[in-house]
Amino acid sequence: MTDTINPQRRALLRKAFSASTLALVAGSGLILPQRLLAHWPSDAFTAEAVEDAILAIMGQAEIATTKTLKFTTGKPPKKTVSGDSVAVQIDSELDNIERIAILVENNPYPLVMSLDLISAVKLPFKTRIKIAKDSSVIAVARADGVLYKTERFVSVVIGGDA
Amino acid sequence: MVMAIEDRMRVKLKSGDTHIRILLAHPMNNGQGVDALGEPIPQEFIQDIRCWRNDDEVLAIKCGTATSTNPYFSFQLAGGEQGDKIAVRWVDNTGAKGEVEILVP
Repeated sequence: MTDTINPQRRALLRKAFSASTLALVAGSGLILPQRLLAHWPSDAFTAEAVEDAILAIMGQAEIATTKTLKFTTGKPPKKTVSGDSVAVQIDSELDNIERIAILVENNPYPLVMSLDLISAVKLPFKTRIKIAKDSSVIAVARADGVLYKTERFVSVVIGGDA
Repeated sequence: MVMAIEDRMRVKLKSGDTHIRILLAHPMNNGQGVDALGEPIPQEFIQDIRCWRNDDEVLAIKCGTATSTNPYFSFQLAGGEQGDKIAVRWVDNTGAKGEVEILVP
């Protein structure tokens, strides 16, 4: 047996292997679920506990409760009549925020939305959410590998269809 | 109730930043409700919203069912100038899609 390497044979083998692997993966349908997962993280949005939802959408990290992430006064309000459309405004002094999640603790599925700040986005961010019954509204932001959390308790007279 | 409105977006330059407000027309049914005849209303809600400035993606929003009917979003982009193209594209869980495009005035 010779120890010399034939580059042409190498290249041919590599091509054959990568092509066959790709065909196999595509044929087994493994590519599709991955793409769907990236499109919408269903495990995070169907988690029934706040901790599970935060873990699924934000990953494992230390949680710091600080004043650097905060809700604007009155958004959400401490008391609201209709839980169908509650204004929420998030503001922060943090730089490098990668992702923000908004959660309502007592909703059937706590995670309301997650924001990926890809480039140039400046807070405050405003939106409207549904709140099913009296509950804490939680915002979690991930910046430089640390999670920052803030929350406010909201009383709802007529619950939203969350 | 589906309101007879279209997806709308307002963009404004203010103290060097681009202020964006988005109002999408969507019922955001969570699959729990029933209609007037007692028939269950199927789940229908926006899952993924992407915002673009010119050719750069700037913000991706993933929504659950607890986002309000006719979802509203407001945020700012650092910098920006007249003629920038701001685009928003969304897709819901049934595969329906929508798109709004506007030039910064």
